[in-house]
Amino acid sequence: MNRREFLECAAVMVGGLSLHQVGFSLSQEQRVYLATAPSYIARKPAYLNVAQKKTLAMLTETIMPRTDTPGAIDAGVPRFVELMVFEWLTDEERSLFVGGLNALMSETEATHQKPYEQLAEKQRVAILEDLEKAAGDSAWYDIGSAAMRDFISDAPFVCQLKELTIWGFFTSEVGSKQVLRYEAMPMKFDGHRSLDEDDSSWATPFI
Amino acid sequence: MLHTANYDFDAIVVGSGITGGWAAKELTEKGLKVLVLERGKDLQHSVDYLGEHAPDWKLPYQGKRPRELYREEYPVQSKSYAFSEATRHFFNNDKENPYVRDEDKPFDWIRANVVGGRSLLWGRQTYRWSEQDFQANAQDGHGIPWPIGYSDLAPWYSYVEKFIGVSGEALGLDELPDSEFLPPMGMHKIEETIKGRLKNKAPDLKMTMGRVAILTEDHNGRAACHYCGPCHRGCSTGSYFSSQSSTLPAARATGNLTLRPNSVVEKLIFDPATKKISEVRVIDSQSGERHAFRARIVFCCASTVGSTQLLLQSASEHFPHGLGNRSGALGHYLMDHALGMAALGFFLDDMDSYYFGNRPNGTYIPRFRNLAGKPASDDFLRGYGFQANVIRMDWRTGFNQKGFGAGLKDSLRKPGPWVWALSAFAECLPDSRNRLYLHPTKKDRFGIPQVAFDAAWRDNEHRLWGDAVSQADRIMKAAGAVFSIKQESIEAPMGAGIHEMGTARMGNDPQQAVLNAYNQVHDVPNLFVTDGACMTSSSCVNPSLTYMALTARACDYAVKQMQAGLV
Repeated sequence: MNRREFLECAAVMVGGLSLHQVGFSLSQEQRVYLATAPSYIARKPAYLNVAQKKTLAMLTETIMPRTDTPGAIDAGVPRFVELMVFEWLTDEERSLFVGGLNALMSETEATHQKPYEQLAEKQRVAILEDLEKAAGDSAWYDIGSAAMRDFISDAPFVCQLKELTIWGFFTSEVGSKQVLRYEAMPMKFDGHRSLDEDDSSWATPFI
Repeated sequence: MLHTANYDFDAIVVGSGITGGWAAKELTEKGLKVLVLERGKDLQHSVDYLGEHAPDWKLPYQGKRPRELYREEYPVQSKSYAFSEATRHFFNNDKENPYVRDEDKPFDWIRANVVGGRSLLWGRQTYRWSEQDFQANAQDGHGIPWPIGYSDLAPWYSYVEKFIGVSGEALGLDELPDSEFLPPMGMHKIEETIKGRLKNKAPDLKMTMGRVAILTEDHNGRAACHYCGPCHRGCSTGSYFSSQSSTLPAARATGNLTLRPNSVVEKLIFDPATKKISEVRVIDSQSGERHAFRARIVFCCASTVGSTQLLLQSASEHFPHGLGNRSGALGHYLMDHALGMAALGFFLDDMDSYYFGNRPNGTYIPRFRNLAGKPASDDFLRGYGFQANVIRMDWRTGFNQKGFGAGLKDSLRKPGPWVWALSAFAECLPDSRNRLYLHPTKKDRFGIPQVAFDAAWRDNEHRLWGDAVSQADRIMKAAGAVFSIKQESIEAPMGAGIHEMGTARMGNDPQQAVLNAYNQVHDVPNLFVTDGACMTSSSCVNPSLTYMALTARACDYAVKQMQAGLV
């Protein structure tokens, strides 16, 4: 994973953007036992061009970097975000996202004469922080709303990016097992486990 | 072309959900040849639990909901707490099988569409009704008196509980009679902390482990819970009770069961000469073929709405207002529990305590208002209970915070404060104005009239909710919440509690009730309705256990009547 995945992302050649919604949800004809199915990110998305893929990968890594545990690229988050942008977002949300990504790319190029992914970490974070400052009053940040909603359609690009990155990261196999803790078959319940200061949450199963 | 086939069944059961499964089991075990008709798709236990044990990274969109699909095809079903891509194949498709939903006065009808019905999807909370529940109508004059009391049902509660397996703690309370219990599940340390505080600061309350039809030890050939978490995806080990895991296999084992999925019952044919149901007319949802089946007795277990819809569409010259509807009560007195989060509190206690295993259960605070023999409120009738759930906040509840990089990652990977949510389950008065009916012009794809609803929360439900919220606030303070939020009004429309009840109520007086004390239609001796439609009042506890006990009791009665040559 990691480096190889990153290069793989960059290696996919695409001839422009496809705006087709490719539904992945199960129809009656496509029934599979999900636990034995491939991961959602097993497919290679081919929606973004190479430059966009590179920048997106580095954006996700800047949000959820590799530390002593794996980061966004290790966890396949660039793939997840690309798939979601083109297969899950609405047309309006997608154009907001892609517009935001393209704007970030051209502004970075204009200011730094370099693509985003070649900037130092400090500069990369600063760019995101500026975007977040500008987005500061979005309803996306409302306390307590995170668990109750599907998506905020008119949230600024940086919010969309963060949401998809964080969701993709903590629901990925790598994120669940190596950053959070995962136990598919606990076999018992114990409500008195001690929690040390550095312990991670359980990756609790979705509905 | 009408195919007449297999008229030699002893009994026909319409529906394979929680009561249909019980009717199938009881009647086949008593030696009857039984045909179960299920309008939904066939589903094999375990094999078709497509979402079972699937990790998040294998779910479509890693768990994000496909919004357009849900909006277009599952606008009502997708409101259910149990609805996701891991469970969607159990649910009805709202577009394929619509009902008339008045946006200004909505009723949410959550429906399964598979063999096993909503027994696959239920919340599994299992509580006996109390004597006070059965006396409520007679005492305050709302609705009509129940034709039975607690003592009539108590042995049947025991009978059912011993089979399904109910875990919980015996408390010896009149207001919440004990079941035949398997050991209760354990509490989180924070729940024990809260319970200890309530004991001191709110001694009028009891807090106990949720009573659930989930096994805490191996039981009747089914394995103890393995605490994977989301029961409603289906459970191959049968650790929670469903028709699929328990009653249908028992019925199948007798060799007396014929189960026919994709069978939409169109009409029950009443023969005025014999005063009995002579035929059950069925449309095969796959082939469109029509069939007629005959049996000595018929059990309607098609769910509250489904059974009453069937009786209404079985109107005839003899019963112009719906089969067995001499009383005019059919379709009326629709109830549900006013159910939802009343208060949510944050706790900074026991932060160094965590858990292992996903306990599919919460804690329970039984009704403590307007109890028999204690001072009654002037403000509202009847009462409510609280079901409480604790979660530890994590990235899912806090991902929308500011910041980027290692700091954000580290903060999101660690647990946040404890959150304790109190959900109120308030009793709903039987009210003639709350009703379902057949729409005069709208039909479904089989040409069957669509169901429409005219139902809303009334004054007493709003008053109960108001009291529940102020009590929830008191409980949060006593429990030691550092911060809490209240839900001041009933948020969900009727139906959203998925405890719809009534519309073919039981009662001794045929002029007022559709069913007698044994769930037998007053004017049609070979027809029984044992699902939620039979309910004369609603109590404030989850109703499924009572439906099961009533079904087993009605089966016992029906077979004795057959043996005596009376049916």
